Amino acid sequence: MATTTPTSVRPLPLVDRYLGEQQATAADRFARAHDAAQADGRPALAGRYSALMPATPPAAGQQYAFDVDLDACSGCKSCVAACHALNGLEAEESWRDVGLLHGGSQRLPVLQHVTTACHHCLDPACLHACPVEAYEKDPDTGIVKHLDDQCFGCQYCTLACPYEAPKYSRAKGIVRKCDMCSDRLAAGEAPACVQSCPNGAIAIRVVDVEQVVEESETHLFVPGAPEPALTLPTTAYRTTRVLPRNMVPADYHTVRPEQAHWSLILMLTLTQLSVGAFLVERLLELVVPGALTASIRPVHSASALVFGLLALAVSVLHLGRPRYAYRAILGLRHSWLSREILAFGVFAGLAVVYAGWSWAASAGWLERLGDWAPGAGAEPAVRAGPGWWLGWSVALSGTAGVLCSVMVYEYTKRDFWNGPATACRFLLTTAVLGLAAAWLPLLIVAAGSDAVLAAVAVDRYGTVLCRGLIVAATAKLLFEAALFRHLAARSTTSLKRTAWLLTGALSNVTLARFAAGLLGGLVMPALLLMSRVPASPEHGQDLVFVVLVAMLFSACLAGELLERYLFFAAVASPRMPGTP
Amino acid sequence: MLRQRDGHLTRDLLRAPGGFGLGQVPARVKPDATTDMVCGYCSTGCSLTVHLRDGEAVGLTPAVDYPVNRGVACPKGWEALAVLGAGDRATAPLLRDAGGVRRAASWDAALRTMVERFRGIQSRHGPQAVAFLGTGQMATEELALLGALAKFGMGMVHGDGNTRQCMATSVVAYKQAFGFDAPPYTYRDFEESDVLVFVGANPCLAHPILWERVLRNPHDPTVFVIDPRVTETAMQATEHLAPRPKSDQALFYGVARLLIARGWIDRGYIEAHTRDFDSYAAAIEPFTLERVSDETGLEERAIEHLAETIHGGRRVSFWWTMGVNQSYQGVRTAQSIISLALMTGNIGRPGTGANSITGQCNAMGSRLFSNTTNLLGGHDFANPDHREKVAQVLGIDAGVIPAQGGWAYNEIIEGILRERIKGLWIVCTNTAHSWINQGQARDILGRLDYLVVQDMYATTETARMADLLLPAAGWGEKDGTFINSERRIGRIRKVARAPGQALADFAIFKLVAEYWGCGGMFRAWESPAAAFQILKRLSAGQPCDITGIADYEMLDASGGIQWPFPAGQSAAPARTERRLFEDGRYHHPDGRARFLHEDPRPLPEPPNERFPLLLLTGRGSAAQWHTQTRTAKSAVLRKLYPAEIYVEVNPVDAKARSLTSNDTVHVESRRGRITARAFVSRSVQPGQVFIPMHYEATNRLTDAVFDPYSKQPSYKACAVELRRIAALG
Repeated sequence: MATTTPTSVRPLPLVDRYLGEQQATAADRFARAHDAAQADGRPALAGRYSALMPATPPAAGQQYAFDVDLDACSGCKSCVAACHALNGLEAEESWRDVGLLHGGSQRLPVLQHVTTACHHCLDPACLHACPVEAYEKDPDTGIVKHLDDQCFGCQYCTLACPYEAPKYSRAKGIVRKCDMCSDRLAAGEAPACVQSCPNGAIAIRVVDVEQVVEESETHLFVPGAPEPALTLPTTAYRTTRVLPRNMVPADYHTVRPEQAHWSLILMLTLTQLSVGAFLVERLLELVVPGALTASIRPVHSASALVFGLLALAVSVLHLGRPRYAYRAILGLRHSWLSREILAFGVFAGLAVVYAGWSWAASAGWLERLGDWAPGAGAEPAVRAGPGWWLGWSVALSGTAGVLCSVMVYEYTKRDFWNGPATACRFLLTTAVLGLAAAWLPLLIVAAGSDAVLAAVAVDRYGTVLCRGLIVAATAKLLFEAALFRHLAARSTTSLKRTAWLLTGALSNVTLARFAAGLLGGLVMPALLLMSRVPASPEHGQDLVFVVLVAMLFSACLAGELLERYLFFAAVASPRMPGTP
Repeated sequence: MLRQRDGHLTRDLLRAPGGFGLGQVPARVKPDATTDMVCGYCSTGCSLTVHLRDGEAVGLTPAVDYPVNRGVACPKGWEALAVLGAGDRATAPLLRDAGGVRRAASWDAALRTMVERFRGIQSRHGPQAVAFLGTGQMATEELALLGALAKFGMGMVHGDGNTRQCMATSVVAYKQAFGFDAPPYTYRDFEESDVLVFVGANPCLAHPILWERVLRNPHDPTVFVIDPRVTETAMQATEHLAPRPKSDQALFYGVARLLIARGWIDRGYIEAHTRDFDSYAAAIEPFTLERVSDETGLEERAIEHLAETIHGGRRVSFWWTMGVNQSYQGVRTAQSIISLALMTGNIGRPGTGANSITGQCNAMGSRLFSNTTNLLGGHDFANPDHREKVAQVLGIDAGVIPAQGGWAYNEIIEGILRERIKGLWIVCTNTAHSWINQGQARDILGRLDYLVVQDMYATTETARMADLLLPAAGWGEKDGTFINSERRIGRIRKVARAPGQALADFAIFKLVAEYWGCGGMFRAWESPAAAFQILKRLSAGQPCDITGIADYEMLDASGGIQWPFPAGQSAAPARTERRLFEDGRYHHPDGRARFLHEDPRPLPEPPNERFPLLLLTGRGSAAQWHTQTRTAKSAVLRKLYPAEIYVEVNPVDAKARSLTSNDTVHVESRRGRITARAFVSRSVQPGQVFIPMHYEATNRLTDAVFDPYSKQPSYKACAVELRRIAALG
C-alpha cells in the first residue's frame, strides 16, 4: 500500500466512530413520537374508509361480501402488499391478488385490472372438500374461516377452490386464507385491502344470499373467472362500463405446469397397482386351476400388500402435519378425501388379513387348527369359502378406494380431471399395473420352487397376463393420446391448454411416458408371448426371462408414474384473471 | 386431539390494536413507538409511519395526517422495509485483487486504496480525469456533501447524477421558460382542476398516490391522456389521444395555433407576464390542423376537441413525465406544454400549471444541491458572485470552486471512451443496467482505470463491475431530507440497523474527505442535521430559499414544508399547500416567462424495412422501481409483475409474424438482440412494441440519442424487429 497520501499513515478512529453510530439504536429518539394517539381510540384512518364499510351487520338471509368497483381500480396492487403487511404473513404470502383483463377493438382497447381474494362463497368448495373440518362458514357474517390449528396440510382445498384462495405454506405445513380480517370487522375497522386501496375500490357490503344465488346462476361475476355457479362466490364486481365480450385474462395464453405433488403421484399409482394386483389375483382364479393359484397366492397377495402399504405410507408424507392424519375421519359426511382415506384404510386392513391368511393357508397352519378353522381344507381357494370372501372384499374395498380417488379429483371440476375420464384413467392404471405386477410373484415362485411347476405356472398365467396387458395398455395409451385432439380446437379450452402443456413445456415427459407405456405394455408382453421362454426352463434362459419380466414391470410402472405426473402437472386449473 | 380451534398456528395470525392511532396490527409486531418518514422510492414523497419496537422498525403503515398521501401508499412503500434485509446487501468494502476476485477489506484499506488510485489517476491525467455519478435517491445533505467534496475537496471537474436520465429535460425547460428550475404546482392542483391533461405520463403505475388525488377531484374533471399506449391512466381518463411517438410537440403547436386563431388565449396574462409570444405565434403558424393531423395520426376533430376542452376549462392543468422528458427533443416539447399554460393563463391559480411530475424521491434535492450542473443551491458556477457566496457559506476559498459546470452524464461516458476520464465513482445508481445502449455502456465502463461503486447491494449490475465496492446504508438506516415533486422537504430517519460494516453515505463521504486529506474543509458538516443548516444558508435569496425552516423538528411538526420558505415567513402557511407564480412574477431578471420554440425533428431512428417496429419503454408496474435493485428483493412485490421480460405487441404485428401470446421471441435493434415473451395486446398500436424498463436486457436495444439542451437520453423510440423463435415458452 502506498504511503504517499498525507492521511494514510494511520487508520483513523473516525471509521470506528461512524460504525458505532451506524449501529446505535434509535429508541430514545422516538420516545415522544405519536404519544397523542386518537383520543377516542379509533384508528386515525377510520374517517377515510367509513364509507366503504357496511352500515349494519347482516340480517337473516344476508352475509358480508367484498364489493369491488372495477372503475376505480387503477392496478396499483397496494391491496396485495397491504394484505401481506397488515396480516403479518410470510415473505411471499398474500391473500389477495390482482390480475388483468384485456380486449376490445383497436379503436377502443380495454384494460381492466381485477383484484381478487377469497369470495366467501355461499357453497364453499374448500369447506366441503376439507377432510378435517378445518373450515367454518360463520352463520352470522358468512365469512369462510380457516382453523389453522385444525388443518393437517393435505392441500385438498387448494385444488378444490376454483379461485386459488387457500394458500399452502410449506414452512408451516398448513393452508391459510383470507378471513375478511374478521377481527378488524368485529372492531369496526376495515379489512387491510379495503383500508389500503388509494382509490377506495374495495368495500365491504351486506349482500342478500338469494341475490348471490341468482347472479351466480346467470353467470354474473367477472369475465375470465371460473364458473360462479360451482361455489356461489359473494364478491360483487361492479362497473358502469360495458366490458367488451372479447375480454380475456392477460394470462389466457400462459400455460405453466402446475405443481406435481410427488407424494400423490406415488400414492395414486401404487394404490392402483396394489388394488389391481389383488383384482388380478381374484380374476386369475376364475380362469386358472386352483392348485396353481394356491401356490402363488401367498406371494401374490404379499407383494400386492407391500405396494399398498408403501402407497399409504407415502400418502401420509404428503400431509404438512402427518401426525394429525387421523383427523381425516371427521370429514366422512362431505369430503371425498376422507372417504378415500377410509376406503384405503379398510382395504389395507383387509389386505393384511388376507395376505396373512394366504400364507397361513399355504403353510398348512389352518389345517392344523382343526375343523373349526374356517376355510381350512386341501383347496384353500374354495369358491364362496371364507378365503374367497376375504379376497373379494380386499379387491372390492380397494376398487372402492380407487373410485373415491376418482371422486377426489372429479370434485375439483377441472376438465382434465372430470369423473368419467379420471375413472377411465385410474381403472386402466389399475388394470395395467395389476397385470404387470402379477409377474412379480411368478418370478419369485419360479425362483423358489421346482422348474416344472414354474414352467407350468408361467405358461398358464403368462399368456393370460400378456394378452390382458396388451389390451389394457393399448386402451390406456389410446385414451391418453385422444387428448391431443383438443390441439385442433379453435378456442382455448382448458383441455387445449392441457394438450399444449403436454406437447410443449412437458413434451419430454410426455415422450418418456408414451415410450415407457409402449415398451412395458406392448413390446415386452409381445416378446414374452413370442419367446415362450420359461417353457424350457434352463438357467440361461431363466436370466433372459427375469430380465424381460423386470423390464416389463419397471417400464409399466415408470410409464404410469409419468402419466400421473402429467395428470398433475398438465392440468389447467381454474383461476381468476392473472398477469401476462 | 380431534378438533383444535386454538394453538400456535392460530395465534401466529392474531391481530391486536396497534395504539398510536393505528388500527389493528399483527399482534407479534405491536409497536411500542412510531415515527414518520418519507418513502425512498418515487418523488410523490408519501410519508410512512414506521412501527418501532425497542427502537427498531418492525412494520409500517402509510402516514394518515401527511398532506401528500393521507393514509395510503403504493406497494413499494408498503414493502419499503422488507428490502433492507436482503441477503445480497453489501456488508463490507469489497476490493478486487490482482486476480480479479472481489475480497472483503477493512474500511481503512478500502479508503486508502481509493484515495491512492484516484490520486494516481489525477497526477497522471489531471484532476478532471476522475469523475462521479450520483443519484436522486440519496438525502439532500448527502448529495450536497458528495458534490462539495468531489469538486471542492478532491478537485474533480465532472460529476452528474442519474437525474439526467429522468428530470434534466424538465430542469432545462423550466430554467429557460421560468428563469429557475421551479415546478410551480402543489398536489392540491390535482383536485382543483376541471381539465387535466397528462402527457407521456402513467401516474396509475408510476405515481399511484398522485392518481388518487385526481380521483378525489370533486369537479368531475375532463382528464385527457396523451400517450401512444393505452396505459392504465389512459383507461381511467375521460379522453385518450394516442399520437405517433414523439409527435406530441407538433400536436401542442397545432393546439396552440388553434387557440390563437380562435382567440382563446389570455392576452392580458401574456402581455403582463410573458415575453416572445408574437414570435412564438408566428413560428407555430405552419402547424395547421391538417399538418398536425398528418404528423400525429390523430383525427382533426380530436385535436380540435383538445383545444376546445382547454378553452372551455376554467382551471386547466398540464402534467408530464418521462414520455416527454426522455426524448431527443424533450426540452422543446416540455416548453410547448408550458406555452399552452402561459398563453391561456393557466398558471399561478389553483388547479392550473405546466407541471412536471418528478421521478425519484429526491430528484429535486439533486437538482438544487448536488453541485453538478448547478452550483450548490441552484446557483451558477459561471457567476463569480455566486461562487463567492457559496465559498463564504462553506467557509472555503472561492478559488476551489470551478468557474463552469461539469460534463453531463453522457459526456462523462463519452469522456471515458475518449480517455479523458480514467477514474469514476458511482454512488447509488446502476449505470450498467439503466444507461442507454447498455452493451456499449458496459464496454465503456470496462475501460476505466478504476471504478468505485457505492451501493446498498453487492449484486447490482454496476457493483459487480467495480474495482472497489463501498457498502452503503440504505433508506431507513440513515438521516436526512428529501424534496418531492411539489417541492416539499420531508424527513428520512434511521429506524433500522445497517448490515455489517455498511455506513450511511454521509459517513462514507466524511471518511473519504478525511482520507483524501481535505477533512478540514468539511468540519462544519458534522451531521446531516448540521448539513441541513448549511443548505439553508446556501438557499438564502434564491427562489428555493428555505431559511425559514428552523430545523428537522419543524419539518416533522409541519408535515414537510414546500420551498420557498424564506426566513420571516410565518409558520402557519407551512402546513398548507402552496403553488408558485401566483403573482405572475417569474425568475428571469425581467420577471417574465418565455415562449420558446423550435421545429420538431424527425425520429433519430425511424422504422425501416429491416427494423419496422418502434420500441417504447417505460414502467411496467407500480411494484417495480427502476433497475429493481431494491424492489426485486421483496417476495410480495415479485408476485406483482411478470418474472420474465416480455414485449407487448399489437395483434396486427403479431399476426404478420405468426405470433401468439406467450411465444418466445427475439427482439432485435441495431445494437443488440434480446429474448422475451410476447404479450399480444391492443394496448400498443400497430407498428409499436413496448418493453418495461425494469428488466436488465431492455437497454441493450435502446439508442444512445440525447436532447441537445438537457442531454437526457431518448429511451422511448428506437427501431426494432421481432421474430418468433419458439411457441408457448
